Amino acid sequence: MIKITNLEKFYRTEEVETIALNKLTMEVNTGEFVAIMGPSGCGKSTLLNILGMLDDPDEGSYVFNGIEVAHFNERKRADLRKHNIGFVFQSFNLIDELTVFENVELPLIYTGVTASERVKRVEEVLDKMQIMHRRNHYPQQLSGGQQQRVAIARAVVNKPKLILADEPTGNLDSSNGNDVMELLTDLNEQGTTIIMVTHSEHDARYSHRIIRLLDGQTVMENIMV
Amino acid sequence: MIRNYLKTAWRNILQNKFYATINVAGLTVGLVVGLFMLLWVQDELSFDKFNSNAKNIYKVGIVGGTGISKQIFNNIIAPVATFAKNEIPEVKDAVRIMSIGDAPFKYKDKVFYEKDFAFTDPSYFTVFDFNLIRGDEQNPFPDNNSLVITESTAKRYFGNEDPIGKVVMMGQNEQCKVTGVIRDYPENSSFQYHVLLPISRFNDLAYIKNKKTYDNKTIVSSMDADWSNFGFQTYLLLKNSDVNTVALEKKLQAIHERNKPEDAPVPYLTQPLLKMHLYKADGTDGGMSTVSTFAIVALMILVIACINYVNLSTARSMLRAKEVSMRKIIGAGKFQLFIQFMVETALLFMIAAVFAFVLMIVLLPNFNQFSGKQIALDLSNYNIWLCIILTLVGTLAASSIYPALLLSSFEPLKALKGKISVSIGNVAFRRILVVLQFSASIILIIGTLVIGNQLRFIRDKNLGYDKENVFSFTMRNSMQQHFDVVKTELLKNPAVLSVTRAGRDIITGGMSTGDNDWDGKPANSNMWFNQIYADKDLIPFFNMNIVEGANFKGVVADSIHFLINETAVREMGLKDPIGKRLRVQTRNGTIIGVVKDFHFTTIHKKIEPAVFQYQPNYCWKVYVKTTGRDAQKAIAAALTTWKQYNNDVPFNYAFLDETYDKLYTTEQKQGSLFNLFATIAIVISCLGLFGLATYSAQVKTREIGIRKVLGASVAKIISLLAAEFMVLIIIAIFIAMPVAWFAMNSWLQDFAYKINIGWVVFLFAGGGATLIALATISIQSVKAALANPVKSLRSE
Repeated sequence: MIKITNLEKFYRTEEVETIALNKLTMEVNTGEFVAIMGPSGCGKSTLLNILGMLDDPDEGSYVFNGIEVAHFNERKRADLRKHNIGFVFQSFNLIDELTVFENVELPLIYTGVTASERVKRVEEVLDKMQIMHRRNHYPQQLSGGQQQRVAIARAVVNKPKLILADEPTGNLDSSNGNDVMELLTDLNEQGTTIIMVTHSEHDARYSHRIIRLLDGQTVMENIMV
Repeated sequence: MIRNYLKTAWRNILQNKFYATINVAGLTVGLVVGLFMLLWVQDELSFDKFNSNAKNIYKVGIVGGTGISKQIFNNIIAPVATFAKNEIPEVKDAVRIMSIGDAPFKYKDKVFYEKDFAFTDPSYFTVFDFNLIRGDEQNPFPDNNSLVITESTAKRYFGNEDPIGKVVMMGQNEQCKVTGVIRDYPENSSFQYHVLLPISRFNDLAYIKNKKTYDNKTIVSSMDADWSNFGFQTYLLLKNSDVNTVALEKKLQAIHERNKPEDAPVPYLTQPLLKMHLYKADGTDGGMSTVSTFAIVALMILVIACINYVNLSTARSMLRAKEVSMRKIIGAGKFQLFIQFMVETALLFMIAAVFAFVLMIVLLPNFNQFSGKQIALDLSNYNIWLCIILTLVGTLAASSIYPALLLSSFEPLKALKGKISVSIGNVAFRRILVVLQFSASIILIIGTLVIGNQLRFIRDKNLGYDKENVFSFTMRNSMQQHFDVVKTELLKNPAVLSVTRAGRDIITGGMSTGDNDWDGKPANSNMWFNQIYADKDLIPFFNMNIVEGANFKGVVADSIHFLINETAVREMGLKDPIGKRLRVQTRNGTIIGVVKDFHFTTIHKKIEPAVFQYQPNYCWKVYVKTTGRDAQKAIAAALTTWKQYNNDVPFNYAFLDETYDKLYTTEQKQGSLFNLFATIAIVISCLGLFGLATYSAQVKTREIGIRKVLGASVAKIISLLAAEFMVLIIIAIFIAMPVAWFAMNSWLQDFAYKINIGWVVFLFAGGGATLIALATISIQSVKAALANPVKSLRSE
């Protein structure tokens, strides 16, 4: 599904140039659950952002589903993104002015799904995330675990092929964190490819494969059994 | 999708009530004032446009005199219209209007004093769109006794009875019969004659019944043979709009000079009907500059209101960064986001527009009273809709596009990480807007102060005569012949100090003539005299000074004596005026005195040459000087005397100082309007500044907390917050000063006698704006500075 080759990303300020990704090469197959680990500043988030087409690489190739996307413009990337990729963030990033239902509905609106179909699909996914009873609440009225479940519901409502999770349990206690990891595992078992950045060895154990980064390069790959 | 946008927008407004209120309040006030002013401007520009022939109608005038006494005459002699229609092929039709002041019209036992009555040609009803709704349009005046009135006049006279065929009496014994009714005039018509008689009747009254003569020898047979009576408004309907008006003017001049060679040269002027309301006959400004000023000020106020919105929404856009990013990550396109923020602005705008409409409906009567107009929010009037819609769309576009572009262009990653702080360009842009806002406000404040000073200058100006505690009235009927008795009667009352009479109003100007000659008059001189008919005690009555020679003595010989003013001496080029021969029209005599210059018209004009003639028989205007305290008693005495001669005519009097003030009504209105505008501009600007200061204090909560922990005093923190804005105000002052000076200096050019714009005005305006802005900012700064640092640090 994903094939990156010699990917490079630099951050420049006036005086300093930092290499975030240094000729990184990796591959992720459809249906995999991959965890990316490494110390702060090793390039995990940069990688995730490039994979999610939120950012573009300076050098190298990125092939997504057989299409070279490394030098796509913003509009093309956005188009590919909204149909194929769902995001889950550490800080949930729900929109405060919208209710649970409306937050989850939003991606469907932007992909032009009809209103009746939207209601059906949002209800379906809220049900699956066991958050249906909170559908008319606003994010601030929910616990962290509930908010993250809404965020996951929002990420999957468009039935993306790939979910990118950036420390999805980072703001949660262990019990809620485990729930979230179970949810992601379920999604993966149903066929969704998942790439997750994490600091937690515990969370990483849910994945099939761990890629460890240091200074923008792969230093080790563990295959989980 | 739109529903989702509206929902988000509405919740956003509810969540941020404080900013929403500031935005709505600013926009509402801006819209109300801006719309009112634009409606006024639109009304002014619409004058006489309703006439379907408007583009082909021209008013005819002439230029009289040269040098300082050069003047434009709006009225001309009667025969020109007749000749033009017969001789000039491009003239399709002509209308003359002769208006001779007021007259009583009597129906049964009711008397109506009509100020707006006139004699006119039958073509009045076809050249203009004043079509008859009753009567025969082809023949509105079947005979000399005919009378055409407006609908409301018919109602006034006859109630619900059929007006056609009703007989009314004009004056004592002139019978008229109603033969036609026209619709009431639109408010934006320059013509407002409610009672119209055939001009042939004027001919009858002035030339047939009373034998008119200018030299006591030759009798003028008809008005069409009278080449001396410049009393007829004359309008020409041209065949099409391509007519060369310069050539036309030459042809009119030729007609005049052929028939009265001694008037040559007498240049003719034509003025398009559509320019009549806002321009003088010679094309110079006659109100257009006020209209443009108002349009500019209206736009300024709307822009100030828009700036508030733009400033607040861009300043607060950081707070929306997370939402925008998430929407983008989820799949929103830039255009979708752009539309979302446009919808948001539109929603807020709708709220402001609704408030504005309600306010406008409530305030309309006050506005009309203030502006002297009768504007109705008539929803069937296409022009009003156009004005409102254009204003709304324009303001909406101005205030929505930039914030929407800014918000929709956030890069999601940076925004999500909170890296979009106030980027440099942004802050600079907002600062520029604040500077603009305050510059505009300060310009308006300076304008208000200058107008106020000039008005004070006008009020306090030494006019060269004493206008205090003097009232005047015009004698009618036999009262004039018994003036000596009237005077004696009045002087018996202790409230009356003195009484005199003159041929005209001393303040507002009157007749003038170029028909004159004196010893040593240069061949090329075309000097005109303002003529003042006086009684012997007119000059002492008004405390005017005689600088040379002597006053009239009230003897028969005075009929060949003249007094002239200092300007006349100068313009005539006389070294030693006393005893010099002077002829004014048919009167030959000698100059016996020179009167110190005094202002007998508005101080817009330089003092012109004037001549006093001893003509008690032409003096219809009575001046009564009272003690001031007993003015009412003096008026009562005048009324009692009046009733002895004119029992059936209402007694109208006016105090001289009030008449004087009325000369400057336009300026006074401008003054109070500017006052209002300046206040509103500064209020809206301060609302915006208040919002920005609040926001700035919020953003800096952490910084303030840290500084306080490190030992900064409250005063230090207030000055930290205030300094940022005060710099902007000071820049605004420096931008506003030259602009305001230039604008107000050109406003003052309209006065021949004017103030100098001193530095005090700038000091006041700048200082005032600074203080107001400082007060506005301080409210927030003090609050922020006093906050507990522990709390503010925790809030981050």
